[in-house]
Amino acid sequence: MGKIVAMTGNTAAYTGAALCRPDLIAAYPITPQSSVVEGLAGMVYNGKLDSSFVQVESEHSAMSVVQGAAAAGGRVFTATSAQGLALMYEPYFRMSTLRIPMVMALATREMTSPETIWSGQQDAMSVREAGWIQMFCESNQEILDMMLQAYMIAEDPRVQLPVNVCYDGFYSSHLIEGLEVPSQDEADAFLPPYAGKTYLDPGQPAALDPLTPGDLMMRYRKNHLEAMKAAQEVIEEVDRKFAAQFGRSYGGLIEEYKTEDADVVLVTIGGMSGTGKDAVDDAREKGIKAGLIKLRFVRPFPAERLARALKGKKAFAVVDRSVSFGWSCGPMYMETRAAVVDADRYAHFSAIGGLGGADLSCGHMVSVIEKLEAVKNEPGEHETLWLMND
Amino acid sequence: MSYIDVLKETQNVMTPGSSACQGCGGELILRRVMQIAGNNSVFAVPPGCMAGAGVDGWNFSNGCTAPIHITLLDNTASFMSGVSEMYQRKGRPDVNIVAIAGDGATADCGFQSLSGAAERGTKMLYVCYDNEGYMNTGYQRSSTTSLGSSTSTTPAGAAINGKEQQQKYLPLIMAMHNIEYCATASPSNMADLVAKIQKGLEASKRGFAYLHVFSPCPTGWKFAPDQSIQVARKAVAANLCPIWECEKGVFKLTPNRKPIPIAEFVRGIGKFKKLTEEEIASIQALVDARYALLEKLAAE
Repeated sequence: MGKIVAMTGNTAAYTGAALCRPDLIAAYPITPQSSVVEGLAGMVYNGKLDSSFVQVESEHSAMSVVQGAAAAGGRVFTATSAQGLALMYEPYFRMSTLRIPMVMALATREMTSPETIWSGQQDAMSVREAGWIQMFCESNQEILDMMLQAYMIAEDPRVQLPVNVCYDGFYSSHLIEGLEVPSQDEADAFLPPYAGKTYLDPGQPAALDPLTPGDLMMRYRKNHLEAMKAAQEVIEEVDRKFAAQFGRSYGGLIEEYKTEDADVVLVTIGGMSGTGKDAVDDAREKGIKAGLIKLRFVRPFPAERLARALKGKKAFAVVDRSVSFGWSCGPMYMETRAAVVDADRYAHFSAIGGLGGADLSCGHMVSVIEKLEAVKNEPGEHETLWLMND
Repeated sequence: MSYIDVLKETQNVMTPGSSACQGCGGELILRRVMQIAGNNSVFAVPPGCMAGAGVDGWNFSNGCTAPIHITLLDNTASFMSGVSEMYQRKGRPDVNIVAIAGDGATADCGFQSLSGAAERGTKMLYVCYDNEGYMNTGYQRSSTTSLGSSTSTTPAGAAINGKEQQQKYLPLIMAMHNIEYCATASPSNMADLVAKIQKGLEASKRGFAYLHVFSPCPTGWKFAPDQSIQVARKAVAANLCPIWECEKGVFKLTPNRKPIPIAEFVRGIGKFKKLTEEEIASIQALVDARYALLEKLAAE
């Protein structure tokens, strides 16, 4: 039986990662992720975790070291945020396109400029075309649980892709919550030892990733897209398997909250979802039929489930903690619109808030619901709502 | 065993059929490193002449008989750190972990990851074949390009006469990382090169080993392909490529107290055709000072 412990999101992340028994960890400190690296280093240096810990000189090398270890057959882990993710972009893209599974925690943070160290999801959103599976967590329990699920999803033979476990920098990474920590035996019963392929093996010599002509490249890309599609089913399966053992289900690709009879729906990502649920309760008390859909996965994008969940509703708004330059809206709004093929049957708009650590309050969420309620009978796109305090 | 017997009794790991230029120093160095390391190795070769020449396989007609990966231009040492850690963890320290990279991937954009891996004492052998530039893409300058060299990004022009800076001397920088083994070599001194590859592989079982090998490039430097070994020999004779090694901080210099002048080395090499007297004097001063420093480091 697991035990109940109060811990931060970063502690939940490294505790979950450690339960997965990684062969090798390579990471470089960056705010707000640093305590993940510190926590794992502490466990290894105190003999509580049997992993190789490689002290790298940059995030570019962190991703490169884990790439080498994974190519040599290891289960590997790293963590980063914002500028660190940007620096590791080159081996990051290659990790997914090599089709080698691994897990990386991403304590999401705003991208500079303006100079910032605070929360935001621009880092994760900016790499959503880099071929990784990206999941977003709301609570610290979810962060820990998703570490176990992430390895299982990544290593599934139908998937074979790296997974980002994203959670909001500071709001989740530094927030303390009580959560249940599975025992090592329970974790082992859920996640089997890694049986990955050793790609660089003198016993079976082969060239890993030689220069590849376009025709073959096309086949690889098509396979990668098919694996992303297959991952949707695997994600749901793993959620059910996890629920059967631990009694906690997160809904797989999306979570729906009071959507069944809703007229107007908030679509949220990550930590803001809890605030959104409070705002929905608040609106319900005022007689507004509000509901919420939490996007739990950004890649693969849960287009089908999202469209089904929105079917028959009058209006939706997507709250983004990042922007899409060139579209004058948030990126998840853009993708939600694309997923809902008949978007113009709904009233809909993008809401942008919480950039660079700015507060994304219950009041902001209420204002989104109020606007939805006001425009719900006017189908089509409405102006982007900036959730600012002035 | 003499180096000739060593080469006779080891197999080529790289198959025939690579598309390297005639007289390529890089290919000669790579073949010797690979055959001495043998098939119980994992090799990494970043983009550059050797990857471009298809040492890891191209068109199903040539390849390598040992596992090999084309790393990124800037992550060869860190990628191989991960491979090495996993092999130590698996209880397979017998597997040689070997990187073979050009000077661009080593001294320029790959330098950070190289320095990191060296500082950590990663168990691997890193061999740099230094042909003083980005040859695979048409000879752009690198930080190891000699002063006054006419390259495609530092042409000997009417306003600026070739590369304006002296070369960065990487081997001493690597020696200052307190690594197990650091050495320079030249394909013109094959017995020395073979011995150093063997020593480097041995040292890679204890920690980081680095070998910096002078690599003549007829195509980029513009000299006849049959002159490659001669150019390498003159580079050693002129002290542009002094031969030394450093084992755990102890320097050993192969003496060359009567060097030929730099003016004699540069003669006949196209990239140096427009060197001025001042530039020749400046390179001469650099190599003299470098040799004097190495003599001091190697003094008992």
